[in-house]
Amino acid sequence: MRLKTFREGEAVLFTLPALVPLLVFWFGPLGYIVYLSFTEWDFMSPEKLFVGLENYTYLLTHADFYQALKITLLFGFGTVIPIIVGGLALALLMNSKLRSTGLFRAMMFSPWVTPTVAVSIAWSWIFEPEVGLANLVLGWVGISPVGWLQDSTWALVAVMIVTVWKSIGWSMVFYLVALRNLPQDLMEAAAIDGANAWDKFRGITLPLISPTTLFLSIILTIQSLQAYDQINVMTQGGPAGSTRTLLYMYYQSAFESFNVGEASAIAVIIILICVLLSGLSFLLSRRLVHYS
Amino acid sequence: MNLTESRKVEQERELHRGNKRERSSKFVPVGERLGRTIRYALLALISLAMAFPFYWMVTSGLKTNDEIWQFPPTFWPESINWSNYADAWNSAPFARYMFNSIFVAVCICVIQVINASMMAYALTHMKFRLKGPFTAMVLVGYMIPTTAVYLPSYMILNELHLLDSYAGLIISNSVSVFSIFLLRQAFMQVSHELVEAGQLDGASHFRILWTIMSPLIRSSFAVMILITFIEQYNNYFWPMLITKDPDLRLVSAGLRGFFVEGGAYGLAWPQIMAASAFTIAPLLVLFAFAQKTIMQSVNMSAGVNKS
Repeated sequence: MRLKTFREGEAVLFTLPALVPLLVFWFGPLGYIVYLSFTEWDFMSPEKLFVGLENYTYLLTHADFYQALKITLLFGFGTVIPIIVGGLALALLMNSKLRSTGLFRAMMFSPWVTPTVAVSIAWSWIFEPEVGLANLVLGWVGISPVGWLQDSTWALVAVMIVTVWKSIGWSMVFYLVALRNLPQDLMEAAAIDGANAWDKFRGITLPLISPTTLFLSIILTIQSLQAYDQINVMTQGGPAGSTRTLLYMYYQSAFESFNVGEASAIAVIIILICVLLSGLSFLLSRRLVHYS
Repeated sequence: MNLTESRKVEQERELHRGNKRERSSKFVPVGERLGRTIRYALLALISLAMAFPFYWMVTSGLKTNDEIWQFPPTFWPESINWSNYADAWNSAPFARYMFNSIFVAVCICVIQVINASMMAYALTHMKFRLKGPFTAMVLVGYMIPTTAVYLPSYMILNELHLLDSYAGLIISNSVSVFSIFLLRQAFMQVSHELVEAGQLDGASHFRILWTIMSPLIRSSFAVMILITFIEQYNNYFWPMLITKDPDLRLVSAGLRGFFVEGGAYGLAWPQIMAASAFTIAPLLVLFAFAQKTIMQSVNMSAGVNKS
């Protein structure tokens, strides 16, 4: 009996070096922020004032919050869907019967490795309204130049382009792995049964790669909710709040307006959205995802 | 009789399939060959477009200020001005920033190798009552948007008097759920009999972990270290929040500082491009050498969701 407790003690000892920082910097703050969202504080006053649900009711009755929520959703769908669909399309293009695609693969993957701040700066130059490359390219296809980062309708698009550019190669590599693991005999059997390429794609490929799609959509959704670097470098939430996501609003109210309570309430809402979307994906996956 | 017959059919089918395969590799129908060429061309085009911002960054950094403001832009600099790179390098302490990034990233890698492997080992090859809850905690940790809890983390770090210090930069990033996941996945593939054999020989868990198990999952360690290094070198938001001292800036924050301050904002674009280029250079070099391992991370993290 004593020996058993000793062994258990050893196991717990093994977990401690990771457990302590995990509790101090992940789970502790998680509980702390829920508490903070019911208070009012400005980093300075000696006391945190308990205000109940006031921060939440304030947010839910102000247009700023709904604007940020809308931007968050637009940004989420506008990045997650292109990254997944585009990644799959690239993987399909690369997968079948093509040899020596290593260089292409590396070139498409490389943006994922590079610091977001540095590449966002480079993209800011590309989106320069007067002499930037983006407007030159638009000119080639006969579209008149737009103001990009200085234009409240285009700034979000520009930020989304950078985000998609950064991750599309990454999702492509995920799909390449998934496609390579498809059972070849099933494909051949389908071909013998006279299935055409589209049938095979819909009937076999899509269901069999659905675990990858589920995984990517969850991870990318969480990432999109956390996007900060590119927004901070390219637009700082502007112009006119057109790229201010909930996360950016959270950052601004915490570290620019020192409104700890309101910021915490926003953070709790972000976490709830995250839980909700992940849960939804899991529910959907029960019906749609095929685990072999 | 039935069995031999079916085997015969199978053999024939195999033969047929083999023939077919052979034929397809020798004579590629014109249509298919055309399709292949188009695909190659398309892939080449997309790859070039994807890598173009890097090219643009490097060449814009070589242009003069007059040339960079020309429209339409020149696709190759009229004169090569390496001096922009030297100017940028000298106008902010970039060497210091890079040292900070690399130093902090290496320390974090070392700590994570130790704590993630111990945690992963305990979760896979040791018995204790809290194993279930701990595993669940790590799984849930993967889904928390960490950025959302930066505010309380900042306050906690403040209480610990670790703001504005290397220790704070390192300790606050010293655990990664992804690393634990990755190693847990790897340890699950290793037979538990090895642990038992080690125990029979009188080895402690600590020894079993470092001398028997770790060498077996070297490739997972390589992936974990590379990904952690890249992540930490690129880290911006959190390190920027918890440091005010310019001497402690990591390279991304330093670059962004150079971009905004120093009168560079929108004025000295060639220098800004040069600075961006040498900031990402170490990573592109690393990627060029460790391409396979880095892309393998995808293979391994894809397994994460199958837990």
